[in-house]
Amino acid sequence: MIEVENLTKRYRDRVAIDALNFTVAKGEILGFLGPNGAGKSTTMKILTGFLPPTSGRAKIAGFDIFENPLEAKRRIGYLPETPPLYPEMSVRGYLAFVARLKGLGGAKVKSEIDRVCAAVGLVPEIDRLILNLSKGYRQRVGIAQALLGDPPLLILDEPTEGLDPKQRAEVLGMIKGLGGRHTVILSTHILPEVKAICEKVLIIHRGKIVAHDAIGAAAFEQGLDETFIRLTAE
Amino acid sequence: MRNILTIARKELSIYFTTPWGWIGGAAMAFISSFFFIFFLNSFKEVQDKAKIKGWANMDPDLAQMRNLTDGVIVNLFGWLLIVTLLIAPFLAMRLFAEERRQKTIELLFTVPVRTIEIVLGKYLGGVGAICATLGVTVVYPIILGIFGASQSGSALEWSTVALGYGALLLWGAVCMGVGMFISALTESQMLAAVLTLVVLLLWTVVGALAPSAEEPWRSAIRYVAFDTQLQNLMSGVLDLKAIVFFVSIILLSVLFTHRAVEAQRWT
Repeated sequence: MIEVENLTKRYRDRVAIDALNFTVAKGEILGFLGPNGAGKSTTMKILTGFLPPTSGRAKIAGFDIFENPLEAKRRIGYLPETPPLYPEMSVRGYLAFVARLKGLGGAKVKSEIDRVCAAVGLVPEIDRLILNLSKGYRQRVGIAQALLGDPPLLILDEPTEGLDPKQRAEVLGMIKGLGGRHTVILSTHILPEVKAICEKVLIIHRGKIVAHDAIGAAAFEQGLDETFIRLTAE
Repeated sequence: MRNILTIARKELSIYFTTPWGWIGGAAMAFISSFFFIFFLNSFKEVQDKAKIKGWANMDPDLAQMRNLTDGVIVNLFGWLLIVTLLIAPFLAMRLFAEERRQKTIELLFTVPVRTIEIVLGKYLGGVGAICATLGVTVVYPIILGIFGASQSGSALEWSTVALGYGALLLWGAVCMGVGMFISALTESQMLAAVLTLVVLLLWTVVGALAPSAEEPWRSAIRYVAFDTQLQNLMSGVLDLKAIVFFVSIILLSVLFTHRAVEAQRWT
């Protein structure tokens, strides 16, 4: 589903990510880990076509995100680090706007809004202004927006940020349910979340991949927490 | 095309769910009504005087006061140009600056939509807001149409009024284009509004430099000054040269905005 080759991003003299190489298979749920500033968000921004890479390439379902951006973007649902919400719009109005931009039309817009709102538990809030929603609900609107149009690939940058423990469990359960049919990449700081739902883990540190393996593999034998701390120590 | 309209619709709906659209409309209504009443009063004064002295004995400069179209509406349009110049920067400021501050720009660039569609959609939404603001002033010609009278039948020359509105909208669209480009350069709405205002005000004083300049500068300045360009259209003469001039500026600002928005992703 995702093929990344020598992906590099430099900001002036600072190297954000350095020659990343990895692939993600269809239906996989990949936990994307790393300390703050390791390059997680940068990688996600490149994969979704928001930032151009300095060099290297990334393919989504066979489409180069840079050479064929529209085809690649059609297959991605993306939740950025900050949910991209318009506070002055209602939840329904906002989701209808995003659905139309994703190319949905007519009756499909309404049925998709109903579907994603049910999936993230937004139905009672659907006619409220985003301005008036709590942080947890705003995060859910962000996730709902990514799910619109049922894209085969979901890229979620810290999807459980700002949620309380109960909401966290709900959202994680939902993401786990997406596996198999959808490919999911999620970044997080919270290691137990990764253990709970991910099949594979990719750890990056200072822009380089330091581990990429199945969660039960030998690399993580000492436990994910230990491994994470050891690999990102220096 | 569908994406452009979707974005334009969202822009327009945000203008009218935030105070900005309403403030623009209210400011336009307040200021224009003041000028309308002022021109109506002076029109009446001149007409009363002319009734006693006869038009033949009046100052020839006052000849435009012989009919309502030239005496009131065309004069009013001259001031609406300035009001549009003052309001447009505040309608244009949020177009891109706010998307960047709120980080919603990330959404627009990761859905399957081309950058040019985003720029055109936003521009169209902004022009829609300007149209709505100028739409408030349509009541004045309508009032004159109902209650006014003239020797030649219809109270107003509607073709002149229509062409005048065309010129006003063209000017509004130009202001919006300049404002959108500047908004694409910064994250701060206020900075965008102030810079746009400065650029537009500088543009208005350019024309005043013409009389003191030497040829060929004088013609060049006359050419770029927007009020001399608009003069013909505003007084009811279809002037293709002016239309080409303003449409070129609009196209340039859309192009520049597109380049500015694209360039930011590369740095």
